[in-house]
Amino acid sequence: MKRKDTVKLISADEMEFIIDKDAAMVSQTIGGFAEMELGEVTFPEISAVILEKICQYFYWALQYSRGKETEFHIEPELTLELMMAPNYLHT
Amino acid sequence: MSNQKKRNFQIEAFKHRVVVDPKYAEKTWSILEHAIHEIYNHNASGLSFEELYRNAYNMVLHKFGEKLYSGLVATMTAHLKEISKSIEAAQGDLFLEELNRKWNDHNKALQMIRDILMYMDRTYIPNTHKTPVHELGLNLWRDNVIHSSKIQSRLLSMLLELVHRERTGEVIDRGLMRNIIKMLMDLGSSVYQEDFEKPFLEVSAEFYMGESQKFIECCDCGDYLKKAELRLNEEIERVTHYLDVKSEVKITNVVEKEMIANHMMRLVHMENSGLVNMLLDDKYEDLGRMYNLFRRVPNGLSTIRDVMTSHLREIGKQLVTDAEKLRDPVEFVQRLLDEKDKYDSIISQAFSNDKTFQNALNSSFEYFINLNNRSPEFISLYVDDKLRKGLKGVSEEDVEIILDKVMMLFRYLQEKDVFEKYYKQHLAKRLLSGKTVSDDAERSLIVKLKTECGYQFTSKLEGMFTDMKTSQDTMQGFYASHPELTDGPTLVVQVLTTGSWPTQPSITCNLPAEMSALCEKFRSYYLGTHTGRRLSWQTNMGTADIKATFGKGQKHELNVSTYQMCVLMLFNNADRLSYKEVEQATGIPASDLKRCLQSMACVKGKNVLRKEPMSKDIGEDDAFFVNDKFTSKFYKVKIGTVVAQKESEPEKQETRQRVEEDRKPQIEAAIVRIMKSRRVLDHNNIIAEVTKQLQSRFLANPTEIKKRIESLIERDFLERDNNDRKLYRYLA
Repeated sequence: MKRKDTVKLISADEMEFIIDKDAAMVSQTIGGFAEMELGEVTFPEISAVILEKICQYFYWALQYSRGKETEFHIEPELTLELMMAPNYLHT
Repeated sequence: MSNQKKRNFQIEAFKHRVVVDPKYAEKTWSILEHAIHEIYNHNASGLSFEELYRNAYNMVLHKFGEKLYSGLVATMTAHLKEISKSIEAAQGDLFLEELNRKWNDHNKALQMIRDILMYMDRTYIPNTHKTPVHELGLNLWRDNVIHSSKIQSRLLSMLLELVHRERTGEVIDRGLMRNIIKMLMDLGSSVYQEDFEKPFLEVSAEFYMGESQKFIECCDCGDYLKKAELRLNEEIERVTHYLDVKSEVKITNVVEKEMIANHMMRLVHMENSGLVNMLLDDKYEDLGRMYNLFRRVPNGLSTIRDVMTSHLREIGKQLVTDAEKLRDPVEFVQRLLDEKDKYDSIISQAFSNDKTFQNALNSSFEYFINLNNRSPEFISLYVDDKLRKGLKGVSEEDVEIILDKVMMLFRYLQEKDVFEKYYKQHLAKRLLSGKTVSDDAERSLIVKLKTECGYQFTSKLEGMFTDMKTSQDTMQGFYASHPELTDGPTLVVQVLTTGSWPTQPSITCNLPAEMSALCEKFRSYYLGTHTGRRLSWQTNMGTADIKATFGKGQKHELNVSTYQMCVLMLFNNADRLSYKEVEQATGIPASDLKRCLQSMACVKGKNVLRKEPMSKDIGEDDAFFVNDKFTSKFYKVKIGTVVAQKESEPEKQETRQRVEEDRKPQIEAAIVRIMKSRRVLDHNNIIAEVTKQLQSRFLANPTEIKKRIESLIERDFLERDNNDRKLYRYLA
């Protein structure tokens, strides 16, 4: 796992999430950003909790596309806020 | 985002938002505008894309998509106008380079802008059916740069200038060309076609029109074709290097039309170097080139084919009507075979075995071979010559090749039954004089004829072979049962079945006593083993080997015909004989006797007899003596061959007449066969059907067919219909 294949996502409250580039590419927007910003993207409007869930989603999407068909569980409290993110990120 | 959500539960949020709105939009837009400027000024690295994306997102979300979009259009247009000016300012050759550079910059910028405005691209634009960002960028480039009045024509003329330079041999910057052309293609196929391809094709047409005119005045056909091929390949290469693939067909069409189609007839008929000359000189490379080039234009190949066909027919006709050449049949046929070989290799090497050309070749040969009605006879003579001596020492495979070639010529013949007649005659002579080089070769040819024409054609021929074999066995049996005869003269009898062999009227001559006794013994032996048969001696077809001692003691073995043997044996009992005495003693018919005596008395080197007077012709009052002074280098002397020869006029007439006679029953059989199955048929159809059925043997003459029909009506095989005179009915 080289450093170069990873991307760092930083939430509003300055939590850093380092994920694989492949995972980040699930969102085309982030993928584009990551290219530009040399592997680091800041999201001043997304909280860490939501960002964490988003990262989990990325990995789940990768697994699903490779054939492992499981369910993605979302805690009900998160749903409302979580819905805005994909709209923004186009995921 | 989450902040706003929380705010929703507070009334303050609403107020906050309303206040922010007008300024908010302006502020956000100016951030983005500034960003676009920076991007175009190559200062993109200082920007935070996430921030810009967010701003764009917000604008769209708050229903300012319209402002964003129109702002984008305005900003980009302004930038492009500036860019356009800087391109216009470029001097000379730098123009294209500058254009290329700015285009690359624009593309990079466009990419970044699109990424930033992706949200708008995905939501606002589809909803309002506006042009997406990327396409918008291309369109603005097209409208402001490419189609700007100062740039459009300059661009086109520069591009065409470069192409022209390359055509005249200069080296140009192909990479640059490729990029510019690709730019035009990216802007849309109509841009490429209108702004480049159409004018390009027009200019190319003019160029090649001039080229072709120039070349055709000074080059011969072969050179011109080389140049045409060169140019064609050059254009194809040009397309692969820097033009749109779809242009290949269009430009090659232009070249083909200007350089080939427009000058086709002139090239083919060019004096001293045109198609006919190439054919005569076996110029495979030039012919191949012509074939490949002409194949590309309509009617190209048919033009070549037509000229080739008429040329072939011309030389073929000359060949078969040239009296000189017809003197030696073997040579004549060899010439035909050589000609066929020549064209076969031309077609396989230069015309890539094109079937249509092969067909043209076949039809031409068929045409002129049948112009000369002695062709069947000559072909048979050719075969005869080969089987007698021509194939001596030749390997088996080569024999097969030669025979196959002969079969090819045979197929062209229309009168195959004439060939059969001659072939039978010649085969009989070969078999009886034992002069065939290879039994296997003979049988091989029979098999080929059988495959081609069916069993009926060859059944008699095979019968002849069988007779020869049977005769051998009979002779063995004869000598086995008569051991006392081994000391005397050796008799070899070939018993021929009458139906299989060509009939000759047989008049027996008087054999010398020793021989006739032996013959009688054989006859009784044979009839003893085969009852119910009748034997008649064919003394005009036999040969004899006799040992002779001459005046000075020189001994020779003479190989002579049976007639000649009879004459010579007479001199055992007399020194001098007159013509009349010989005639009476031997009983040989006059014309044969004269020929026989002539070959023994008047031919140098074979004059075993002396004649008084020493004239060349045989007169009724001539006297004959044994030539005691006869000398020869060889011990064995061959006199009087029974070789197959070209027929004399009267003989030819006779054979032809026999052939015509033989055809009559064949035609009748065909008519009866057809009428039996059809019951009722009209005149024209009968003629057509009969001709078709008999095609494999000969070309039936409609008049003759009519005569045969009449004959059959007379004999109550057919009847005419009462109402329609042209209708015939079969009578069972």
